Amino acid sequence: MTATPNDSAVADSQVGDRSTRWRFEPRIGTSRWWQVASIFLALLAAFAVSSLLIASAGANVLEALQAMGRGAFGSWSAAAETLVQSTPLIFTGLAVTVAFRGRIWNIGAEGQFWAGAMAAHWVATNVTGLPAPIIIAVTIIAAFAAGMIWGGIAGLLKARYGASEIIVTVMLNFIILFTLSFLLSDAWQDPTSHFYQTAATPEASNFPRLLAKGRLHLGFALALVVAALVYVLLWMTTLGYEIRALGINPVAARYKGINVATTTILILAISGGIAALAGAGELAGLHHRLRLDISTGYGFTGIIIAMLGRLHPAGVLLAAIFFGALVNGALGMQISTGVPVALVQAIQGITLLFLLTADVLARYRLTRVRPDG
Amino acid sequence: MRSKGSDSAQSRETETPIQTKELSPVIEVNRTELSPDLRSAPSLGDDQVLLRTDHLTKRFPQVLANDNVSFSVRKGEIHCLLGENGAGKTTLAEMLYGVYKPDAGSIYLKGRRIALTSPRDAIAHGIGMVHQHFVLVPPFTVLENIFIGTRSRGLLANMTQAAEKVRALCQDYGIEIDLNAQVWQLCVGEQQWVEILKALYSGVELLILDEPTAALTPQETDKLFAILRKMRADGLSIIFITHKLREVMEVSDRVTVLRKGRVVGTVNTADVTRTDLARMMVGREVVFQIAKESVAPGPPVLEVDDLRAYDDRGVEALRGISLTVHRHEILGLAGVSGNGQRELFDVLTGVRKPVSGRVLLEGEDITGKSPAYIASRGVASVPEDRIHQGLVMDFRVGENLILGLQRRSPFSKGSFLRRNEVRDFAEQLISRFDIATPSPDQTTAVLSGGNLQKVIMARELSQAPKCLIVSQPTRGLDVGATEYVRRQLLQQRDRGTAILLISEDLDEIFNLSTHIAVIFKGQIAGVLDAERATLEDVGMLMAGCEGTL
Repeated sequence: MTATPNDSAVADSQVGDRSTRWRFEPRIGTSRWWQVASIFLALLAAFAVSSLLIASAGANVLEALQAMGRGAFGSWSAAAETLVQSTPLIFTGLAVTVAFRGRIWNIGAEGQFWAGAMAAHWVATNVTGLPAPIIIAVTIIAAFAAGMIWGGIAGLLKARYGASEIIVTVMLNFIILFTLSFLLSDAWQDPTSHFYQTAATPEASNFPRLLAKGRLHLGFALALVVAALVYVLLWMTTLGYEIRALGINPVAARYKGINVATTTILILAISGGIAALAGAGELAGLHHRLRLDISTGYGFTGIIIAMLGRLHPAGVLLAAIFFGALVNGALGMQISTGVPVALVQAIQGITLLFLLTADVLARYRLTRVRPDG
Repeated sequence: MRSKGSDSAQSRETETPIQTKELSPVIEVNRTELSPDLRSAPSLGDDQVLLRTDHLTKRFPQVLANDNVSFSVRKGEIHCLLGENGAGKTTLAEMLYGVYKPDAGSIYLKGRRIALTSPRDAIAHGIGMVHQHFVLVPPFTVLENIFIGTRSRGLLANMTQAAEKVRALCQDYGIEIDLNAQVWQLCVGEQQWVEILKALYSGVELLILDEPTAALTPQETDKLFAILRKMRADGLSIIFITHKLREVMEVSDRVTVLRKGRVVGTVNTADVTRTDLARMMVGREVVFQIAKESVAPGPPVLEVDDLRAYDDRGVEALRGISLTVHRHEILGLAGVSGNGQRELFDVLTGVRKPVSGRVLLEGEDITGKSPAYIASRGVASVPEDRIHQGLVMDFRVGENLILGLQRRSPFSKGSFLRRNEVRDFAEQLISRFDIATPSPDQTTAVLSGGNLQKVIMARELSQAPKCLIVSQPTRGLDVGATEYVRRQLLQQRDRGTAILLISEDLDEIFNLSTHIAVIFKGQIAGVLDAERATLEDVGMLMAGCEGTL
């Protein structure tokens, strides 16, 4: 290995001996086309690897994939159920998008989800006697506020004491989860049940269904509205401008007078609020009672969704629906071919890995260097 | 040495009139006219030419850094590589030092073709290089640094023997340095001696120096030149990379001028004038000095009183700075880098909080106020690191033109940005400041260095500031952009703006300033009237590192 002086313009990583050297060179001006193409290449590669997993589970790959497709989009009701599955992912994906745009690594969407679900549950059980639309509106607002607080705490600690938001948000996830499981085994537990769950919430607080058949609920419509609002926030408001400036170049943001502390707190508060809506939607739209299994890690999947959606609300929408389809389709696959649903999580993980790889390749290219020609 | 108006070199112009051939291909025609020597160069015997390159080409993504570069260095000569930033000087040098491998072409040393795959190969061939940024180990002593840098055979270091050899070298070249001092304790000038000693110790025949004077005071530069001459007398060859014409005229035997990766020509320094070289370098006539009519300064605008502040490591970087900038005045702040300039800029713009002292803007105390507040009171700033401190490179040009102004009218109303107003404003500035971009929607990252600086200048000047704080405004810019920026500063001064010009480029300081303040170790070492000050005066104030003078 030959060492080269540090300050060369080329990101220099050499592999191999003297006769063949490889180095990464930055592509200048990556085209939009390449960025989009890299997403699809990553998805393709992820499916190729996943096919191997399906095959190793002893199933016919083609059959399994077909079953998956049918399960996701095979009928109107299947498609609607896909949207149901994607609803929480849209919210958490958007939440992570807002944070990542400002270079704030919010790993706490999961905890903020629970803050929203708990607030929604509290409102639903305690605010009674009002017309349903008002109760629902209050539910949504309370959930958003709870998420703002839960995210805002991390923002405050970062702005005030420089605490890493990554660690703080992860810790807050544990705090709220254990608080909830304590409540479910104690004060909030349904007295008529042995399960760790609350009693069902009153009918009036339930999100209305959007279709005559199936489970598609108000939460999905709300998710679409929030996606539009996130777009407006990021690209049409001064705050969004400042969030993006801070995200791309925090030094210049500081030099040009953007209040980094305030903006950081706002970013985490807004991000938390959006993630909390996922919790409210799952509670008031589907489950109507708090249980520890109403999230299957939506907050964490939101990170993948945001990356896959290239931190753009429209991209997040597509990515969330795609992942919703995976989850929904996997149920069909399990029923007809016996391949376990857990495979979906493997596919999600593999997709993220390929996506990150594609990201590097979209920005750099590997060139071969011959020492002497 | 330095005199206002016409330089000695310039006055020679009349003696050897040069036909002004048209702009671009100065190359072939002028080369033969300027240097009869060049035609004979290839036929020189092997005993005279130490190193020769034959059509070296190096391409980086989107840039042809070196395009068929052929030139030769003789034994015992100081050979300048002259060119603007981005002309390909450093790339060429790094190929000669084995850092980059040429895409095409070859290098001959003493008539034999050599292939360099790493700096180690180069050192083995007797080629040494002093980089712009030194490659020293700060906690090691001078001697240890020289020793590790040149790692000889054998595992056990014979330090006494090494020390003797180094001491002999020091004596030979008149370098005074404490061999047992740790490198971090040395000032920049002394660190340079260590780099040179390293090269001498390893027994180089050819030493490449990349912009070696960038961080030196004029006196240290003189000293460096004396050492280089001594090395030449000892038969060593030196490649001296620079973009400063004065240095070329002073120290070199021959000059090879590069422009946009190509050799414009090689000439004997004695046969040309500064103006000739400038023309070769830029490809057109260059005005050296911008006419600077003096305007009488008005009342004080920015008053700094006994300002103290720490740097990022918690070391006191500003140790009681006091200065005043008036209306219609450019106060040039000269100094070797790292004497508190950066911290002063930060404190004045509000990014860094001072420990004590006061900053007054037209009598209002703005000490320790936020950057946004200070900017809103009419203080504009152009930071030294334009890419990191001044711009958001992934933003559109239009977005960058309102950076910091986004909450002001007319760019926003309530919480919303007003797209049309922003666009109109951007288009206006783009045409007024002649920014080369197809539209305000262009990504900023693709603009050239000069245009990036124009974006910042346009933004900062658009608000008609009372006070303007600029740091290294022309660093890394080509001649055209430099001229443009300097004219803008003078225009602002005429408008009545009080300007604090922090710069390490003494030509710039002398060219533009009304008064010159010199900063040394966090204090103002002196303030001089720019009309009467000489380079020597300023140099003396800038120096202060004992033992090198």
